[in-house]
Amino acid sequence: MKEFKIGMNAKLDMLKFKNLGEEREKEIEKSASTSVKDSSLTNTLAGILHPKGIKVQVFHIVKETEDTKSFYLKPVKLESMPPFLAGQYVTLAVTIDGRTYKRPYSISSSPNSLEMYRITVKKEKNGIVSTYLFHECEVGSTFNLLGPFGHFTYQPLRDSKDVVFLAGGSGITPFMAFLQNQKFLEKIHSLTLFYGAKSEFDLIFKKEIDEICSKNKKIKVIYVLSEQKRSDYAYGFIDEEKILQVGVENKSFFVSGPIKMYFSLNEIFKKLDIPNKFIRHEIFREIPEDLVEQNFQLTIKMNDKTLTIPCNGKETLLQSMEKGRVKTLAHCTVGECGFCRSKLLSGEVKTEDSCVHEADKEAHYIHPCVTYPLSDVTIEVPIK
Amino acid sequence: MENKEYDVIVIGSGNAGLVSALTLQKKGKKVLLLEKGRVVGGLASSFIRGRFEFDTSLHQLCEFGTKEDSDAVYDLFSRLEIVDKISVEALPETFAVYTLEHKEKYVMPVGKDAFLLKMEEYVPGSTKSMEEFFSLCEETKAALSYLNESKGHPETEVLMEKYPHFMVVAPYSIEKVLKKIDMPLKAQEILCSYWSYLGSPASKLSFIHYASMVYSYITKGPVIFKKSSHAISLLLSEEFVKNGGTLKCLTGVKEILTQNNEVIGVVTDSNEKFLTRHILANLSPNVVYGQLIQNDFVPDKAKSLTNLRNFGARGVSVYLGLNKTMKELGLENSTYFVYHSLDSDREFKRMHDIFSGNLAATLKNTSPDTSSLVLTNLIFGDAFDKLVTKENYFEIKEKLAESLVSSFEKVTGVNIHDAIEEIEVATPVTFARYTGHPEGVIYGYLATSHDNLLPRIMNEENEVFIKGLRFCGGFGSRLSGYSSTYINGEMEALKTLGEMENERV
Ligand SMILES: Cc1cc2nc3c(=O)[nH]c(=O)nc-3n(C[C@H](O)[C@H](O)[C@H](O)COP(=O)(O)OP(=O)(O)OC[C@H]3O[C@@H](n4cnc5c(N)ncnc54)[C@H](O)[C@@H]3O)c2cc1C
Ligand code: FES
Repeated sequence: MKEFKIGMNAKLDMLKFKNLGEEREKEIEKSASTSVKDSSLTNTLAGILHPKGIKVQVFHIVKETEDTKSFYLKPVKLESMPPFLAGQYVTLAVTIDGRTYKRPYSISSSPNSLEMYRITVKKEKNGIVSTYLFHECEVGSTFNLLGPFGHFTYQPLRDSKDVVFLAGGSGITPFMAFLQNQKFLEKIHSLTLFYGAKSEFDLIFKKEIDEICSKNKKIKVIYVLSEQKRSDYAYGFIDEEKILQVGVENKSFFVSGPIKMYFSLNEIFKKLDIPNKFIRHEIFREIPEDLVEQNFQLTIKMNDKTLTIPCNGKETLLQSMEKGRVKTLAHCTVGECGFCRSKLLSGEVKTEDSCVHEADKEAHYIHPCVTYPLSDVTIEVPIK
Repeated sequence: MENKEYDVIVIGSGNAGLVSALTLQKKGKKVLLLEKGRVVGGLASSFIRGRFEFDTSLHQLCEFGTKEDSDAVYDLFSRLEIVDKISVEALPETFAVYTLEHKEKYVMPVGKDAFLLKMEEYVPGSTKSMEEFFSLCEETKAALSYLNESKGHPETEVLMEKYPHFMVVAPYSIEKVLKKIDMPLKAQEILCSYWSYLGSPASKLSFIHYASMVYSYITKGPVIFKKSSHAISLLLSEEFVKNGGTLKCLTGVKEILTQNNEVIGVVTDSNEKFLTRHILANLSPNVVYGQLIQNDFVPDKAKSLTNLRNFGARGVSVYLGLNKTMKELGLENSTYFVYHSLDSDREFKRMHDIFSGNLAATLKNTSPDTSSLVLTNLIFGDAFDKLVTKENYFEIKEKLAESLVSSFEKVTGVNIHDAIEEIEVATPVTFARYTGHPEGVIYGYLATSHDNLLPRIMNEENEVFIKGLRFCGGFGSRLSGYSSTYINGEMEALKTLGEMENERV
């Protein structure tokens, strides 16, 4: 039989095989024993883009309308705020009476000016955090900020170059970042902004918006007032007729506003046969209508500790945890980010699971920020 | 009060960390698994956008097979008693490869005979060399399992007598061996399409490394997990806990404690201390020797070896949720390679540029009216590191996505743009964020000459520089990839077990 060889002859090949280890040894001997490189610019950049938490200080407050204020935040330690995409949000951790609440707020300032972020807060009826911010927060206050997060962003590969923004009330905030973003405005062909509010006095940022529009021919703004008639403004709600006036063919719709608006617009989109890809939603939490006020016990297992706190059928488990002074990892508070992911060990709940992984659903994982108890409940919560 | 002493501490819950932790726990050891992230799995994970759940990394799983004709990973999952809980989907072909320069297209089926026939059709006259290649693969497979059984101390006589061809080809590259068996160049190139999965060009990749992988893909066929990689990672971790293991997520290790060059414990980033004499590190030696152990306590040889090694591929992945099915798109294959040419040396060089446009794609139906397409582009060297800044990061991401989608559209002639309903882009920055690996490397160390599979395995026992500290995972001896890291996890667990038994004697 013919000898099988690769090099000069089979014996030498085999010798080469046996020497593989020794050759490696020799290479090691030649190599320097200086200290080892453990990271690079890429790792540094990951840290800059996704900091673990940023301490910020309020340095300017503007009352925008009767019930809305903007807070200008600058970093306490960092040189600048992390870069973000227009449409993203941050989570503000606010401590009131020893209880820490986390709330998401869209960044309403320009992605080009990173020396600060602006967030804009509308005082909600019964809102713990928004009321506190509106009345108590002063220049000089400091907070811990998480983020930026979120996917309510413009993606040139997916979205149309003809864009329609549909804003309701304080839902205008993320759009302010878009309107001030030159790079975004360069990418698109046209932009129509529908901005609905009760009256002209409830329009936040009207002056800013008008100024931006006057400088850029691509942008057209239509104010829609629901409780005030003025000849130069549209009247009523943002409805099918108004949308059809600007046309729907091949346009990307971005929606941010109160829940009722999402639902009514969704109906319209369905009717007009607009594909999913052209409809983007800012995150929101749907509060189920059939909640029952009833007291239960929530038992929380964290690593080696277990504690029990009261909870209520009308409150999310996350809300009960905030009240019960339990530290949570929550970020978005609306079920989307998965940071509060916890395992349901026992009990019955009503929960929203569209952002829960398939395998997690089977293994009984829930997002407490969108989960309401229907009985006593025990959950296992990851904690630092 | 918690008892803070463990038989073994596993740092990192990637594929290898999970398998090693479960293996040791099932052998009755007291194991602590520490993971710095929120969820287990490392790169083997998934995420949700809109109505799509995307697998973070898996394109094809190797070495699985079926119940009747099982391969190494199937057998491993059987030993771990979880195989019944895992459902996989067999992919229809091994791969389809396209070239941008000459518009070539080769679709290679599953099965030895079918593959051979197809190759003959594409490259007449290739059959004889392909047969020879397959027989070398079979011998290689047998020899490797002998090497494994002999735990690094094979008998030369046995090797010479039973595996003479293996001994001859083992020190050479896949390219060299294929040339030697007179395989026509085109057939060589087609057969080597998988080179980018292993992250080195055919001229550098060791024959046995490449051959073992490609042979399994051809004969057993590639599979994917029906649910997601996250489902498997979750399953492994839940089994670990069910067996009494302690898992702590959100708990990174910031220091490994040693004394007289032996492991004694770890300190976590929340300053908790755990004691142990055995650590399995599912992360890079760069981070372990450069960050977790005080420099003075790291043996010089450990530093020399680590400094000698080059990082393997970084990656960019574009995850696309499409509002059309594969049929509606007019695409029938699930695995695509797109290169400018089939010359892997040229392409390897080209991929030192981040906008090479070369990619590996995986496409599957995700519902009766949607599909998902993931385009992964490998980058070699530090090009990404040099180019990207915090100012241009988002722009570069967009450009990368655009370049990959248009590459794919160019070779297939199918309009993808209009079907994109969801899009996400992961870059080395993303992978660095989630794994902590230096430069966001996803393929461990580059597989070349002295750092190829065999020298790594042959020298492994001499390279335990600190007693009780072993590595597992993509930076370990079996290199990266799902099957390699699962298998490596078990191997390292068993070696740790061996060390513990020796101590007792
Ligand atoms: C886009 C992409 C596509 C891929 N496609 C395929 C494919 O089709 N087929 C295939 O076989 N392979 C593929 N791979 C490769 C495969 O994903 C990896 O090789 C494998 O998942 C690596 O597993 P690992 O065990 O090395 O752990 P890793 O996934 O690297 O996980 C390491 C873990 O350690 C944790 N950790 C790190 N430092 C610390 C610390 N100090 N303390 C505590 N925890 C720590 C990290 O958080 C992480 O969870 C792909 C990879 C990518 C990125
Ligand atoms: S906090 Fe985001 S999902 Fe609950």
